[in-house]
Amino acid sequence: MKIDESLPLEYSTEENRLKILGFWIFLGAEIALFSTLFTVYFTLQNGVGNGPSAEELFKITPVMIETVLLLTSSFTIGLGIHAMRLGMKKAMMTFFVITLALGLGFLGTEIYEFLEYIHEGATIQTSGFTSSLLTLLGTHGAHVTFGLFWGTAILIQVAKRGLTPETANKSFIFSLYWHFLDVVWIFIFSFVYLKGMM
Amino acid sequence: MESHEQQFLILNEPMILAAMISIVVGGLSLVIGVTYFKKWGYLWREWITTVDHKKIGVMYILVALVMLFRGGVDALLMRGQTAMPENGLLDAQHYNEIFTTHGVIMILFMAMPFIIGLMNVVTPLQIGARDVAFPRLNSVSFWLFAVGAGLFNISFIIGGSPDAGWSAYFPLASLEFSPTVGNNYYAISLQIAGLGTLATGINFLVTILKMRAPGMTLMKMPMFTWSILITNVIIVFAFPVLTVALALMTMDRQFGTKFFTMQDGGMDMLWANLFWVWGHPEVYIVILPAFGIYSEIISTFARKNLFGYKSMVVSMVAISLLSFLVWAHHFYTMGQGVMVNSFFSITTMLIAVPTGVKIFNWLLTLHKGKITFTTPMLYSLAFIPIFTIGGVTGVMLAMASADYQYHNTMFLVAHFHYVLIPGTVFAVIAGFHFWFPKVFGFRLNEKLGKLAFWFITISFNVAFFPLFILGLNGMTRRMYTYSESTGYGPLNMLSFLGAVGLGIGFIILVYNLYWSIRYSPRDETGDPWDARSLEWATHGPVPFYNFARIPKINELDAFWYAKRNNKSLYDDRPIEKIHMPNNSGMPFLMSGAFFGAGFCLVFSWWIPTIIFTILIFVFMALRSFEKDHGYYVSVEEIERIERELGGEK
Amino acid sequence: MMKQLFPKQHVMGFIFSMVLSVVALAVITFDMSYKMGMAILLVTAIAQALVQLLLFMHIGESEDKGTLYTNIIYAVFVGVVTILGTLFTMIWGYQIY
Repeated sequence: MKIDESLPLEYSTEENRLKILGFWIFLGAEIALFSTLFTVYFTLQNGVGNGPSAEELFKITPVMIETVLLLTSSFTIGLGIHAMRLGMKKAMMTFFVITLALGLGFLGTEIYEFLEYIHEGATIQTSGFTSSLLTLLGTHGAHVTFGLFWGTAILIQVAKRGLTPETANKSFIFSLYWHFLDVVWIFIFSFVYLKGMM
Repeated sequence: MESHEQQFLILNEPMILAAMISIVVGGLSLVIGVTYFKKWGYLWREWITTVDHKKIGVMYILVALVMLFRGGVDALLMRGQTAMPENGLLDAQHYNEIFTTHGVIMILFMAMPFIIGLMNVVTPLQIGARDVAFPRLNSVSFWLFAVGAGLFNISFIIGGSPDAGWSAYFPLASLEFSPTVGNNYYAISLQIAGLGTLATGINFLVTILKMRAPGMTLMKMPMFTWSILITNVIIVFAFPVLTVALALMTMDRQFGTKFFTMQDGGMDMLWANLFWVWGHPEVYIVILPAFGIYSEIISTFARKNLFGYKSMVVSMVAISLLSFLVWAHHFYTMGQGVMVNSFFSITTMLIAVPTGVKIFNWLLTLHKGKITFTTPMLYSLAFIPIFTIGGVTGVMLAMASADYQYHNTMFLVAHFHYVLIPGTVFAVIAGFHFWFPKVFGFRLNEKLGKLAFWFITISFNVAFFPLFILGLNGMTRRMYTYSESTGYGPLNMLSFLGAVGLGIGFIILVYNLYWSIRYSPRDETGDPWDARSLEWATHGPVPFYNFARIPKINELDAFWYAKRNNKSLYDDRPIEKIHMPNNSGMPFLMSGAFFGAGFCLVFSWWIPTIIFTILIFVFMALRSFEKDHGYYVSVEEIERIERELGGEK
Repeated sequence: MMKQLFPKQHVMGFIFSMVLSVVALAVITFDMSYKMGMAILLVTAIAQALVQLLLFMHIGESEDKGTLYTNIIYAVFVGVVTILGTLFTMIWGYQIY
C-alpha cells in the first residue's frame, strides 16, 4: 500500500481517495432519494382526508430542540475531524462521542414527537399527508439510527487500532454522512415544519 | 380466477406445472452433475466468491441469457395466444401474468444485466485498469441482482406472478385490485436488484473517473467507455427514484399507507408519475451503452476513426440531462392540462435531436471505409435503418394530441420494440460476438453467427411491423383475445410466425456457442479483429491482473496507432509486483440473507423477515471490522503467467 | 489547546447556521405573505446547506473537487426537476384548460 505523507491520513492512499469520491457520489444518489420523498410529500400535503392537517399537527418546541441538537452535532463532528487531522486521537474520540450522544438525543425527541402524532390520530395509515410526512421523517430518522450504529463501530475501531489510514478514512466518510443528514434536516425543518406552520 | 388467489404453490395450471417440474428436474440434475464431477469447490473458489470484474461480467451475461430464454418463452406464448381470434391457449389471468413478467424480465433482468455484464468485462480493460474501484462491492452488486432475479422468477410457481403490467399502475396494482402476492414480488425483487444496480453505478463512475491509464484524458477515452460513464451517471440519479417508488408500493400494499389510494388524500397517478421519472431515464440506461458498442464495432470494421467524436460526447451528455425532462410523455392521456402536455411534447422532440446526430456520425464513419462484414458488424449495420424506424415513430408518439390516437395501442408496442430490439438486443448480441474472444480466447463461428443474424433480423421485422398496422387499426395492447370480426387475425398470425423465426434465430445463436466451444480454432494474438482500443492490447483470455504493465496513452485509439507505427505502449518499464483484492464469500452470503428477507416479506411473515434483516446488518458489521488488505502478485509469478500466455505484452 | 481544537472557521460556521435557523423562524412569528415566507425559507435553507458543504464537508479540498461540484449540481438538478416537474404535472398543470 503506497502511503502519500503529504496528504491527510484519510486521503493518504489510492484506495482511500477512491472511497471518498465513491461516497460523495453515493450522497448525490441520496439527494435524489430525499428529493423524491419531498416530491411525494409536497404532492400529498393537502391530501389530509379525515386526519389532521399540518397546522393542527406541528408544534414548534420539539422541532427546535431537534434542530439545535442536530446542528450542534454537525458542528462537533466537524471538530472531531479537525482534531483527527491534528493527530489528536483522544480529542477526536471525545467529539465523536458527543456527536453520537446528540444524535441519540435527536432520535429520542423524534420518537417522542411521533408518539404525540399517533396520540393525535395521525398514524402512517391515516391519510396521504401523514403517510408521506412520516415516511419522509422516518427515512431521515432511520438514517440517523443507522449512523449511530455505524459511528459506534468506527469509534471502537479507532480505539482499538488507533488512527490509521483506514480508520481515518472511515471516520471522515462517516462525518460526510453526518453532515449530509444535517443538510436534509435543514430542508425538512424549513419546507415541512416551518412552511406547514406558516 | 379465484384459483389463483391465496394459493402457495400453483398446481392447477398445466403449463405452470410443467415448467415447475422442468425447473425441479433441471435444478436437481445440475446439483447432481456438479457433485458428481466434484466441482463445488471450483465453483465456490473461482466463481461464487470471485471479485474479478471479468468473471462477474461473465456471470451477469450468463444470467441475462437465461432470462432472455424465460422472457422469450413468455413472448412466444403471448404471440401464440393472439395468433388467432378467440384462441384458448392462455386464459385472461395467465395472459396478464405473462405480459407483466415479459416486460419486467426483458428490461430489468435481461437488457440491464447484459449491458452491465459487458461493461464489467470491457470497461476496466478499455481504460487500462486492473479491476474496478470497489471489487468487493461489485460482487455484492452481482449477487443482489441475481437474488432479485431469482425472487422474481420463482413468483410464478410460489404464490403467483405479478399481473398488473410491467409498469404496475395503481389502482390496479393496489391490494384491493391485485390481492395476490404477485405485486409484492414485483416491488421487493426489483428493490433488491435495484440496490445492486445503484452500487454498480457508483462503482463504475469512480472506476472511470479515477482509474484510467496515465495519459488517457476524458476526451481520449474510447466511445464505449464514454457511454458507460454517462449511463452510470443516469443510474446513480434515476435509481433512487425507483427505490422510493417501490418502497411506497410495498408500504401501500403491506402496511396500509395511503400514498396511491383513491381516498384519504392519496393519489393513484402519483405512482405512474414516479415510475416514469425513473422509467424514462431507464430507457437511456439501456440504449446509451448500445450506442457505445456500435461506435466501437463500426469504427473497427470500417477501419476508420469514429466520425465526430466530440459531437458524440456532447450529444450523450445532452441526452443524460434531457432524459430527466421527458417522463410525462408516457401518460399524455392522464388528464393534465395543455401546458403540461405541450412542455413534454417539446422536450421529447428535443431529445430526438442528439440521437439523430449519432445516426449521422455512424453513417459518416462508414462513408468511404473499408468495411468487413463480420457478424457484429452486420448487427450494427442492420441497427441503423431499423432503429431509425423506431425513432421516427417515437417522434410521432411525442406529439401529445396525436398520441390520444396511438396511446396504448399495438402501435406503441411496435414502436418500443423497434427501439429496444435493434437498439439494445442487437447491440448486446453484437458486443457478445465482438468481445467473446477477449474473454474465452476463441471466436464464435462466423457462418452460424451470420445465419442467426439473418433469421433474427428478418423475423424481427415480420414479427413487429404488422403491429404498427394493427395499432393504427385500433387493436389495443394487453388484450388477451379478440373476435374474428375485428379483422385482426391475419396480421397477428404473421406476427406470430415472425416470433417463431426470432426463436429459431436465438436457438442458432445458442447452438453456435456450443459449436464454437467445441470446434472453434483458438486465437493466439489476443487481437483477432485487428481492433482499436486498449482491451485488445493484452492477452486473450485476459490474465486475472489484466495488464502486466499499465500502458501509457497519448491519443485516442492509442493501441491502433501503436500497431500501425510499430511503437510500444509500455516504454520498456520493468514489471512490478501487482496488488490484487482477495476473494470473499460474504457478498454471496449477504445476498442470501437479502433473498430470505425479501421472500418472507413477500408473504408478510414478519418475524423471519426481521431475523433475515438483522442478518444483513450483521454481515455489514462484519465487513466493517474485517481487516482485508488484498495480496501481492510477485514479479516471478507475473513473468511465468505471461510466458504461458505466449510472451509478454 | 482550546484554540487549536476550535478553529475559527468551524465556530463561525456553527454560529452562522444557528443564526440562519432563527431567521427562518421569522416566517412563523411574523405575519407575512406566502411568497415572502417561501423566499426567506429558500434563502436560509440554501445558505445553511452551503455552510455544511463548504465549511464542514470541505467539498473543495481534494483533487476531485471538479467532480464533486458536478456531482452535487447534477443531483440538485435532478432533485429540483423531480419536485417541480411533478408538482407541475400533478397539481399546477392539472386540468387547467
